[in-house]
Amino acid sequence: MIGAGPAGLAAAEAASRNGTEVALLDASSRMGGQYWRHRTRVTGYRSERGDTLFAKVLAADSVTYISEATVWSAQRDGDLIRVNYLQGGSESSLIAEKVILATGAYDRTLPFPGWDQPGSMTPGAAQSLLKGQGVLAGKRIIVAGTGPFLLPVATGFAEAGAEIVGLFDANSPLRWALSPKALLENISKFAELLYYAQLLRKHSITPRFGRAVTAFNDGVATISRINPNFAIKEDGSESVQVDVVAVGWGFVPDVSLGGILGCSQRVDSDGTVIFDVDKNQQSSQPHIWIVGEATGIGGADLSLIEGEIAGLAASGQKIEKSHLLERIRKQRFADALKRTYPVRDGWRNWISPSTIICRCEEVTSQEIRDSVSELGAEDSRTSKLFTRAGMGLCQGRMCSRNVSEIVSGITQCAVVDGERIAASNRPTAAPISLGQLADGKNSL
Amino acid sequence: MTQSISFTFNGSAIECEEGQSIAAALIAVDERNLRSTRFGNEPRSIFCGIGICFDCVVAVNGVANQRSCLIEAQEGMKVESAL
Amino acid sequence: MSNPDAIVIGAGIVGASCALSLTNAGLNVLVIDRGAVSSGTTGAGEGNILVSDKDPGPELTLALHSRNLWFEMQDDVGDSFELEAKGGVVVARRDDAPLMKLATEQSHHGVTIEKCNQVRLHELEPYLHPDISSGVFYPQDAQCQPMLAAAHVIRAVVQRGGAFISQAKVTRICVENGAVTGMETSRGTFNAPIIVNATGTWAGELAQLAGSHLPIAPRKGFILVTEPTKKYIFHKVYDSDYVANVASSDADLQTSTVVEGTRSGTILIGASRERVGFDGSMNYEILRTLAAQATSLFPVLREVALLRAYRGFRPYAPDHLPVIGEDANVKGLWHSAGHEGAGIGLAPGSAALITDAILGRESFMDGSAFSPQRFATVRV
Repeated sequence: MIGAGPAGLAAAEAASRNGTEVALLDASSRMGGQYWRHRTRVTGYRSERGDTLFAKVLAADSVTYISEATVWSAQRDGDLIRVNYLQGGSESSLIAEKVILATGAYDRTLPFPGWDQPGSMTPGAAQSLLKGQGVLAGKRIIVAGTGPFLLPVATGFAEAGAEIVGLFDANSPLRWALSPKALLENISKFAELLYYAQLLRKHSITPRFGRAVTAFNDGVATISRINPNFAIKEDGSESVQVDVVAVGWGFVPDVSLGGILGCSQRVDSDGTVIFDVDKNQQSSQPHIWIVGEATGIGGADLSLIEGEIAGLAASGQKIEKSHLLERIRKQRFADALKRTYPVRDGWRNWISPSTIICRCEEVTSQEIRDSVSELGAEDSRTSKLFTRAGMGLCQGRMCSRNVSEIVSGITQCAVVDGERIAASNRPTAAPISLGQLADGKNSL
Repeated sequence: MTQSISFTFNGSAIECEEGQSIAAALIAVDERNLRSTRFGNEPRSIFCGIGICFDCVVAVNGVANQRSCLIEAQEGMKVESAL
Repeated sequence: MSNPDAIVIGAGIVGASCALSLTNAGLNVLVIDRGAVSSGTTGAGEGNILVSDKDPGPELTLALHSRNLWFEMQDDVGDSFELEAKGGVVVARRDDAPLMKLATEQSHHGVTIEKCNQVRLHELEPYLHPDISSGVFYPQDAQCQPMLAAAHVIRAVVQRGGAFISQAKVTRICVENGAVTGMETSRGTFNAPIIVNATGTWAGELAQLAGSHLPIAPRKGFILVTEPTKKYIFHKVYDSDYVANVASSDADLQTSTVVEGTRSGTILIGASRERVGFDGSMNYEILRTLAAQATSLFPVLREVALLRAYRGFRPYAPDHLPVIGEDANVKGLWHSAGHEGAGIGLAPGSAALITDAILGRESFMDGSAFSPQRFATVRV
């Protein structure tokens, strides 16, 4: 079981119900993944769900929880699967009959002038500092982008004493009207909305819609009104002094490990690369199940039920109809999320020639443009070979989609699925030193 | 009551609570510029906060490119923006 | 451009260099590729321009001239592909006699060598393992960024009146009375009396489309790329096993140690050679072997992280010499292919040989050792 966020915990707990031996690996020192990130105890909406699940998993005799274990690769070993991980500075491996992957997701980001400056970060970073470390990223904060994740981030900040200078969602909540069935099936979500609405009111935060942070420079954020296609409207932008702009545009699953194991992938309706799984959450590879955001961004509720189903399936336990119905409801809600909070390509007009697109290698928009117009790059792979975009430490996790879409905007050719998939896969899931790599030869 | 620990960042002493990451400890004392980029010499700070973006990398006890948002600060650690 | 003077198939470094050479000689050249620029082996290359790894003979002669042509190409096209005469250091881990003997022979054939003792070796490479005490410095070895080079060279070809069409897959090469007249591709029909096959690892497939035959096969290689680091490696450094490996026909996996830095601060580590057809799958055991070898040469690399690994397919002929010259059966069909791991270094030299031969003028060397005619009798 790789990943101890909601999906992984649910899977481990479910699998352990019949005594199946589970090794639960996670890179962090605490359970909970990103969603239940905490220092001492989980806080926030229905936080007791997290605490309850932690307790169950820790109490389960057949579960061995291995923390601070970073899985960098995996390979088939006959009928078995070897999982290679780094812990305490050296490499170890585990051999399993079955593997469930629940490696989660990270914030999707879009470039804008100044997004690389100190003070500009993702909502996930702000949340992780606050919930995981007890540190406020700044005193005057703007939270922006799109999606329901902005609410816990903004209210969490406010509860901790920061001033929320603005909360901006590019999309209007009226878009929820596009998904009436999902809302009716998930009435509990209204309670969640009320919870946040009360906190917003308590802290006098008025969310504003159809707006985005389109520039940030030396602590001054520019907020522009945007049209439904995300193009900046002419009727004026405002500027405001802040310590932090926390901007996020939904999530992107990290598919490296499943890709290394050869599990087949496709492109979801929101353009993210995800895995194909069957009704039991089993991937295209035998004995490998995949759950959580990697089967489609959908939030914690969906992750929990997917995890439970996979845990039951992998341990040979019965999956009840109620489980399947719950997943259908949560899947519909996940689809509704995508419908309500799309990211449109008008963002390509926010950037200027000097805007950094690949943060790691400091490749600007102009350099990418030149690789197409001067050097004949026709896709992002070639553009990357010429500019080094995507070749830095993060191996394209932050920029590869944006590079593809910028190149596509110039060539006027749509990004093909194969390009998205190729750019999302890499031969190692985490960094490993040459010494660790060498020492593992013949000794594992 | 959590322990207080001390490490150095580019030679200066930094105090933080036990269990905090290097990045969190630095941001808590308003040391936001964690490093400068290798080509443009531009300042960078924490960005994704969860170990994906590698913007927060620092050298820890002589080993380069360590993600300060993931590594827990230890007593006596030597943290530098660059080797 | 439907009736160019010459068509070059392949927009990797070999094709690009040919196209430039022909263009500079006054021809209208059309370059086509079934993909984009550098989408074949050039896109997986390290950028080696070496004289150090060649035995005296035609390939060394070609390599020496080609190396100088690289610098002329930079003067011609512009300093846009990180060309650097950084020099190579070949170290002997065990018995250094074979290396020293080779170096002496090479020095009689135009190669500048400097035999190094322990002190000199560690002056050149301070981070080299202290136990390594013997080696040779080859100041003529150079490095470039091959994908950028191919792209800038193609750009120069187009600026000088040539043309480039990407995503054009050749479906038929038209031959009449034993001579080429043109080709059909997925993006149109083009007529020309001269076609240059610069398709590298796929040159045999291309030759078949003209009813001819070239025994070029893939030899897979991996490269490790590290995170950007402080400068630890100052030249291209490899151990003297490299030379033996290149010339071997052994099907089994062969690895040798090759380490060099790049302008961007990353370190490239090779080298492996396998004949597994076009199986591109990852192989962690090979990565571990390469890491172990590199860290045994440079212990400081133990702390450096692997960023990514990639693989490419070197094109090789059974006798490990490139194939440069007119096809044995089809007139007007010229090959510049099968350069194995030396394609980048040998590209401009091969281009000069082909251009001279096409124009019927004397060249800087006798290229008959590379002629495709040498395979003419091997038809089954």
